[in-house]
Amino acid sequence: MVASRAQIRRAKILTWIALIIGACFAGLPVLWMIASSFKSNLEIFAYPPALIDHSFSFKAYLAVLGDPGQLRFFFNSYLVAIMVTICTVVTSILAGYSFSRYDFRFKRFLTLVIIGVQSVPPITLMIPYFGLIVWLGLYNSYTALVLTYMVFTLSYAIIMMTGYFNTLPRDLDEAVMIDGGGSFVTLWRILAPISLPGIVSVGVYTFMLAWNEFLFALTLTRTNDMRTVPIGIHLLMGQHSFEWNQMMALSVLGSLPVLILFLLFQRYFIAGMSAGSIKG
Amino acid sequence: MKRYLLAVLMILLLVAGGAASAQDVTLEFQQWWEPELPEGAFRAILDDFEAANPGIKVVTISGPYLTTKDQIIASAATGTMADVVGLDGAWVNVLWKQGALASLSAVMMEAGFDDSELAAQIQLAGETYMIPIANFIYPVFVNLDMLAAAGIDPPSTRAEFAAAAAALTDPDNNVSGWAQPLSLEQPNGIQNDTMSWLWASGGSMLDDMGQPNLVGNEALAETMEFIKSLHDAGVVAPGAFSMKENEKVEEFVNERVAMIINTLAHFTLIRERNPDLNFDITALPAAEGYDGPRGLPYASWGIGIGANTEHTAEAWKLIEYLVSVEGNSKLTSIANAFPGNVNATPDFITTDPLFETAFAIFQEGYLANEFTGLPAAEELMRQFDEPFQFYLEGDIDLDEFLEIAQEEWEAIFE
Amino acid sequence: MGAGIDMAKAQAISEIANIGWEQRKRKFLPYAYLSPTLALLAALTIVPIVTVFLYSLVDNVIINQNPPVFVGLENYEEVLTNRKFRGALSNTLYFAIVSVIVHFIIGLSFALLLNTRLIGNKTKALFRVIYILPWVFTASIIAILWRLLLNPHGVINFVLLELGFVQEKLEWLSDRDLALNAVTFINIWAGYPFYMVSFLAGLQGIPDDLYEAGRVDGGNSWQLFRFITLPQLKPIIVSLALLDFIWTIHQFTLIWMTTGGGPMRSTEVLSTYTYKAAFSSHEYSIASTLAMIILAICTFVGIFYVRNQRMTDE
Repeated sequence: MVASRAQIRRAKILTWIALIIGACFAGLPVLWMIASSFKSNLEIFAYPPALIDHSFSFKAYLAVLGDPGQLRFFFNSYLVAIMVTICTVVTSILAGYSFSRYDFRFKRFLTLVIIGVQSVPPITLMIPYFGLIVWLGLYNSYTALVLTYMVFTLSYAIIMMTGYFNTLPRDLDEAVMIDGGGSFVTLWRILAPISLPGIVSVGVYTFMLAWNEFLFALTLTRTNDMRTVPIGIHLLMGQHSFEWNQMMALSVLGSLPVLILFLLFQRYFIAGMSAGSIKG
Repeated sequence: MKRYLLAVLMILLLVAGGAASAQDVTLEFQQWWEPELPEGAFRAILDDFEAANPGIKVVTISGPYLTTKDQIIASAATGTMADVVGLDGAWVNVLWKQGALASLSAVMMEAGFDDSELAAQIQLAGETYMIPIANFIYPVFVNLDMLAAAGIDPPSTRAEFAAAAAALTDPDNNVSGWAQPLSLEQPNGIQNDTMSWLWASGGSMLDDMGQPNLVGNEALAETMEFIKSLHDAGVVAPGAFSMKENEKVEEFVNERVAMIINTLAHFTLIRERNPDLNFDITALPAAEGYDGPRGLPYASWGIGIGANTEHTAEAWKLIEYLVSVEGNSKLTSIANAFPGNVNATPDFITTDPLFETAFAIFQEGYLANEFTGLPAAEELMRQFDEPFQFYLEGDIDLDEFLEIAQEEWEAIFE
Repeated sequence: MGAGIDMAKAQAISEIANIGWEQRKRKFLPYAYLSPTLALLAALTIVPIVTVFLYSLVDNVIINQNPPVFVGLENYEEVLTNRKFRGALSNTLYFAIVSVIVHFIIGLSFALLLNTRLIGNKTKALFRVIYILPWVFTASIIAILWRLLLNPHGVINFVLLELGFVQEKLEWLSDRDLALNAVTFINIWAGYPFYMVSFLAGLQGIPDDLYEAGRVDGGNSWQLFRFITLPQLKPIIVSLALLDFIWTIHQFTLIWMTTGGGPMRSTEVLSTYTYKAAFSSHEYSIASTLAMIILAICTFVGIFYVRNQRMTDE
């Protein structure tokens, strides 16, 4: 079956229209955020609204970047998010492999436990969890944040890794096993490389959560030198003062590293890459 | 030689370290004020305190206002509470119930402190737990240009206010006479923009025993009817049911709302936002025929001591400094607040005519915020807000509304 | 000869031992792979969850100096018979189900759009970044942004008025007929990229030969999607829907900061209700009870997931 040129052309036009509608849906609110970050606080609420007005300036950015406290928030966010991502990805690959490739007695039970663990609303867990972290002597440390976010992200990461491994045919690892490779070899040499898209998407998710989480980041830390970007944003939203444009600027700045990271990793989403390696 | 030097250095370090740890007391001071104030201003006051009190260091633990109460509750539950904490009148009761706060009465007695200089003390069961050190009163802000264009004077009675609001409202130009923030996330609109009308006319929402008195309270019923008449007349800015305090201010600054009840703390912010805005402040209008002193709604930055502190004496020294004439003047000057020490004089009172007006309003009336010190004060506001919205929408009548609110309040007071 | 028999015997024994070892290893291995996860969860979640469970059975906790009183299931009775709770439950289900379904539709559509071969790789890279944008912001800033956009004097009303779609300014977040849908829409906007990224990754796992075979059999693109893409993605779809359901039920910041559960309780969901119980009324026992009820709901959904997992295994 060969599609005619006209058909392909039509399909292309339709795809473009859909892409642009989608981009408006996703991007216009963010465009408004960026526009607001360049406005004065007065003009942000002006009516009729304008995308760019006479108050255009970089003041909000300069205020945020000129504050060493804010830069420290960025450093902390990076450190915590990267640590969490590495730990969660490794742990979840191991667990996902176990759930996907083995049958064992407590499998269903453990799956339920892993789902159940994250079914308790975090807000109600906060006080007892906080008490535990203090008792463990981890209060106001990076370790506390890293471990907490691992607890938050592991459920998703494991369930998704199990899902991805399940989509891969079992003949693959059986072939390696027959060749004398152990299960560990199979996992790291064969399954993990093929599952790179899945691993990356789990990593992106984990990074985002750790980067954006607010409540526990605030509760488990005490001093501003341990705190992350979302707390910086909240600090701009005070009882008597509120800096809308700086809030917007800070969140635009905060999103850039995440976007860059995504750009770096997105080649793993390019069609056919993993499919090719299966065939090979 | 090298070794010798090294050993000396180490001994020196040890001595210095030992000496420091023997004398220095580090106080943790949790509050939300530092981010509210100009960069470095709060620290400067604490530096002055440290200079005057060698051996005491103060570490600030600053967080966003909206989560400070939750954070204090969590830290008190886990024994990690700071030595000195900033308090809002709406939180005192719950923290006191939790046993998180130390009685200041005992501490003041021990220190031989003369409390006659204090403008107010928040007491529960006969003991002081919070001292308001900075007070922000809530007068009515009016847009003078809009009033002049409509040819009216700032209103001083409810009828005048309703007439002015109607005259100022201009839907085609998106202008409303008044704004009433009733967001359920931050229900302080019930305190500042609703009950304040009652207090300004000498009314009360509590009975003589301090229990809820919403049903059969004529002054309250009239106030609620008055507010509903404003909503029904369409003179209240749209979006009231989800509006927050800060959005009310932005509407005023953008000249879409002519009159708001608002804290003096926003004074500088309003001037910075819109330097061309020609505004004045006036006392909250009273009911027809009322000529007694007008209750002035206010919010406070209060201060207290954590029950678990090991440095009560040092913690008190810090509080004593912040309520002293010197420290209190400095703090209230940068915060644009009225002082917690009756003898303190923040510099703006003499330099800014608008603050002179405010000070006159302050002196003619009395501070009134009946929510201060009540159990679960924020929840009281919220439980009032919900049926209030149903009432304004016309789902229920006034009696039903007040009965529901009374029932909810009684459950909380139990 | 005796030696020969012995040798055969020894060999057999060692083989049996080997098989036994292999079997034991096979039994033990899955737990070994799970051990880091289990250790972490055991260390950090058992104590808090059990504590919350115990709180739900007593009165006078945290915000009270009186000793806790065991009240059995009274708290559960109090919550379950409360009219406000039932209102919150039905709002939650509406919010969660609509969010999950629309998340799935948008997430999959965008993933397919970004996976097409009709568009150049550079263009796709650009759109991929645009499409992921809502995901990179913390929930509170999303709430603030949408409050700006949906303000009665905000840009959305302005555009709709100019285009003539509406006659007067809508109060998106303070009109009880609009608020729940408005909040759900915000949640949809904020949450779909997570589906999209997961599906994008899932699509890479589908071998090309399947499509080639499908085309050879004369399948059109709808049939290819229906009979190849969807079944292949099924394990991911099920996992995503389950997790998203749980997360949407927990979604707090977004609703709290946009409407606070109002107006007139029209956007009151279980998470805002729980928060108020814990930090506004300071009824920690009630909040813990609500937490346990939410746990029960999520576990119930989780059981379906586990069943489904078993079917895909077979």
